[in-house]
Amino acid sequence: MTEIHSLRPVAAVLISLLATVPILASRGRPNVRETWTMLAALGTFGVVASMVPGVLAGDTYVTDFGTFVPEVSFALRADPLGILFALLASTLWVVTSLYSIGYMRGLDEHDQTRYFAAFAGSVASAVGVAFAHNLIVLYVFYELLTVATYPLVAHDETDEARAAGRKYLAYTFGGGVAVLAGILLVFVLTGTTDFTAGGIAGLAGADPALARAAFGLLVAGFGVKAALMPMHSWLPDAMVAPTPVSGLLHAVAVVKSGVFGIARVVLDVFGPDLVGDLGMGLPLAVVAALTLVIASVIALRQDNLKRRLAFSTVSQLSYIVLGLAVLHPMSLTGGLLHIPAHAFMKLTLFFCAGAIHVETHTDDISNMAGIGKRMPLTMTAFGIAALGMAGIPLVAGFVSKYFLLIGTVSAGQMVFTAALLVSGVLNIAYFWPVVYAAFFETPDRSDEKPVIGAALGGWVARDGADQWLASDGGAGGRDGDPTDDHGYADDHEGQGPVDSAAAAEHIDREHGPDYRPEWEHRGWTGEESTWFMLGPILFAAAGSLTLGVVPDAAVFLRIVRLVVAGATGVSV
Amino acid sequence: MSDLVPFAVAVPIVGSVLALLAGLVRSKSGWPVAVVASAVHVGVAAELARRALFEGTVRYVVGGFEVPYGIELVVDGLSATVLGLVAVVSLGVLAYARVAGPRSNPFYAAYLLLVAGLTGLTITGDLFNMYVFLEITGLAAYVVVASGDGGRSAVAALRYLLIGTVGASLFLLGLGYAYIATGTLNMGDLATLLAEYGHTTTLVQTAFAFVVVGLLIKIAVFPLHTWQPEAYAASPDSVSGLISALVSTVSAYALIRVVYTVFTPEFLAANPLARDLLGVAAAVSIVAGSVLAVAQTEVKRMLAYSSVAQYGLVIAGVSLVNETAMIGALVHLVGHAIMKGGLFLTAGLVATATGARTVDDYEGLAERLPAGATAFGVLALAMVGIPPAVGFVGKWYIALGAVETESWVLTAVIVGSTLLTLAYFARLVERMFFRETPVAAGDAEAARDDADVGADVTAADGGDRLPAPGTVSLGMYAVVVAAAALAVALGAAVFEYAALVEPTVTSLLS
Repeated sequence: MTEIHSLRPVAAVLISLLATVPILASRGRPNVRETWTMLAALGTFGVVASMVPGVLAGDTYVTDFGTFVPEVSFALRADPLGILFALLASTLWVVTSLYSIGYMRGLDEHDQTRYFAAFAGSVASAVGVAFAHNLIVLYVFYELLTVATYPLVAHDETDEARAAGRKYLAYTFGGGVAVLAGILLVFVLTGTTDFTAGGIAGLAGADPALARAAFGLLVAGFGVKAALMPMHSWLPDAMVAPTPVSGLLHAVAVVKSGVFGIARVVLDVFGPDLVGDLGMGLPLAVVAALTLVIASVIALRQDNLKRRLAFSTVSQLSYIVLGLAVLHPMSLTGGLLHIPAHAFMKLTLFFCAGAIHVETHTDDISNMAGIGKRMPLTMTAFGIAALGMAGIPLVAGFVSKYFLLIGTVSAGQMVFTAALLVSGVLNIAYFWPVVYAAFFETPDRSDEKPVIGAALGGWVARDGADQWLASDGGAGGRDGDPTDDHGYADDHEGQGPVDSAAAAEHIDREHGPDYRPEWEHRGWTGEESTWFMLGPILFAAAGSLTLGVVPDAAVFLRIVRLVVAGATGVSV
Repeated sequence: MSDLVPFAVAVPIVGSVLALLAGLVRSKSGWPVAVVASAVHVGVAAELARRALFEGTVRYVVGGFEVPYGIELVVDGLSATVLGLVAVVSLGVLAYARVAGPRSNPFYAAYLLLVAGLTGLTITGDLFNMYVFLEITGLAAYVVVASGDGGRSAVAALRYLLIGTVGASLFLLGLGYAYIATGTLNMGDLATLLAEYGHTTTLVQTAFAFVVVGLLIKIAVFPLHTWQPEAYAASPDSVSGLISALVSTVSAYALIRVVYTVFTPEFLAANPLARDLLGVAAAVSIVAGSVLAVAQTEVKRMLAYSSVAQYGLVIAGVSLVNETAMIGALVHLVGHAIMKGGLFLTAGLVATATGARTVDDYEGLAERLPAGATAFGVLALAMVGIPPAVGFVGKWYIALGAVETESWVLTAVIVGSTLLTLAYFARLVERMFFRETPVAAGDAEAARDDADVGADVTAADGGDRLPAPGTVSLGMYAVVVAAAALAVALGAAVFEYAALVEPTVTSLLS
């Protein structure tokens, strides 16, 4: 294994970072601006990809800028774990950029310049997180990522979006504080913060109580962005951001920078052995297992599609954390492989949700009955990704979950195996209704959705009034629209043909409803939307399938094997 | 060649007199005089700083009287840092003040006198001389605060004068006790003789208490800060930029000097209570200052309370008696001066261009004044401690020192101060970038047009709701943008600086 001094790691960060300048400068000329975004995305991808063969051959690429604070150099280093995350983020940024163009123009959004600039800044920070050589540099980019993403969360400039932005800042900077405290402890204990495959040697001899405190602080801090319960609640709220943001940042770059931080801490700071010796693996695994089951249950009751996806993200991120926390080489492989697997699948799902929003302004699942007729390709892609999420073979999710299951069984921790299986079933339970409603229902003939529509604990009649109250305090009528009781705008108007029919009924009272609610029929050849959106959807769906059908041919699994072999000495 | 040292004080004093005299010949001639004097001052300061940092401590005995009877001027790494800061910031603020005013000659005379006082405080090696310069600084500061129009700044200056004089008097009282104990006023001499007299004697302890509390008033540490918010908020914009960046900073320098050079770390070791009290004062100041800042509606008052919190961080670094923390305190002292001075000047620029002075007025500022909003945003985030800006680096050193000395409570407060700072800056950032400018229904259209054209930012709307906007000069923009750029760029230079200043810090702590 050789270290190659190269400017490529820093180039990968700088290309997208510097791209913000021409993007901001070409406000008012959207086509020029988007060209810059595409150039930056392709450039970043090219630079990262050019390092992949070398990394697979066992080399690492290092750019060192000298000392930043004593004993800590400001260095970027492309090692296998880093290249895994950077390759993922930069690949998906290319397709997300295309998708963003279709989405933002399709909705005629305001402040698109700020949006694209902040997006480029976010990706630059994410790549920086990936290539950070030590905890300090990681922290620098981790905080910059928070700053760069904030404008995207608050993009809508509604009260709701601003509240989500505030919450986002408070949560993630709070996590940053914990991370900083943890880094300080590690630094004082060992005199270094450099990542070392298999763990920093000095930590093994340190005071176990302080080492545990450092581990706890670091994992709790990174756990905020990784949306470990109970620190997850910023994520569903952040779904108020435009969908490409929810897709790339809140399913891939930002949340996975948290997961990635935990991976660095487990593999390269403490090392799997020491984490096991300190007894910190089990508590973390318990938190992750609880998160993945509870989040799945909550997802069942979300009617807003993006919120349902968000809770699914919370759950799936904990698969990764669980894999890392079980510490078995197999589970490590599964957890790390789930980073790209989940990214491709969840990006597909979000892209679909966004395309539905742009084309039909439908956000709620209860209004999506029969939408498969209107958007056949989109909903097919959605179906594939949903199957993958549940872990059905031939889609990406199967391979990673397979490793996870083997890992938990081999480690003798059957409880976690059970948690994984239960969550898999729940995945089907919350994704299947969407696919089913899209293809096998029509707007005027749809089944009841008791899980969403009913109140937990039933309805209570209020005395004297012709009104029913939900005993769980939820809003919504007993036989009316099942409304969302989690804050999303209650403006359901214009969502799908059912609502249109209701509106028409309102306006033309004397004529009566003179049309049956039905989705317009569109063909399978891309009539449903623009190719700016369909292309990325199909690419991400194809990626999910590739990772599932030929995992060994896709480069991600090879990188993951390299990482695990480096950290544990066992090749899987 | 150590003859250069007294010129650092003499140049601004001479400039001050010249500015006053020039006013008799021609009005509004103060500014050019001040610029020339300041430029020369920067040159002198740069040369002194170079010698002190690269060649070792520079000493000069005034009038040829032998130490310890004569007054000694000393420039070591610590004073060189602050001296450079004073010179550069006072020149920078001049570039801002040309258009922003005040423009009278007496103002510039007082301005240069303030610079002279600050410089003297920085380079003196004599405790009584320090008191003299403390008073010069104080008096000049009262004058420049009072130079604003209207009663508000006069009242603020009066309050500043009353409380500031109490602080200076306490300092004088303490130094009297030290003189009784030792019979000398030279700092180096005091250090040895105080140790001989006994660090645990009541006399020395009393001297320490008076001197430190007097300086804490000058620094404006909670709860001794009451003069400061109004003084900063009510004075003209250029003045608040200058005094927020320099006056408390140099007082904090004086505290470091007195605690470490005069009383020495052995005193703190012998009196753990004194050290602990400093730590408590720091922690309380950080928390209370931030909480009070959140409660403010006026932007300049908010920034002022923010200073109360940030000096808490500096005092924390001082109280730890640790090399790393000490470097951190110095870095944060300089970083805070740049960031806070820049913030005050930006707030002034915003007020001049749009009339916005309260937190709510800042709504939608990014559309009306993109450059101002961006500079403010960058400086605010640097102050919060987002890496790699200088605000982060200073905090890192101080926090590292706290962990090294295993002061866990202080560590928690220092690290947590990020969130406290975020609490008051986030609401401004949110208002600037993610809210629409509130406009009365009638001129909504006009405001929209202005924002769309956006070519002439200085004249961009502001609406009828707000006071009439003034002119914003290129110099004002340049200073504000330079401050924002420095706040980010200095973070990268800290390591080299730390290596240069390390010998000084080591000798201070030994």
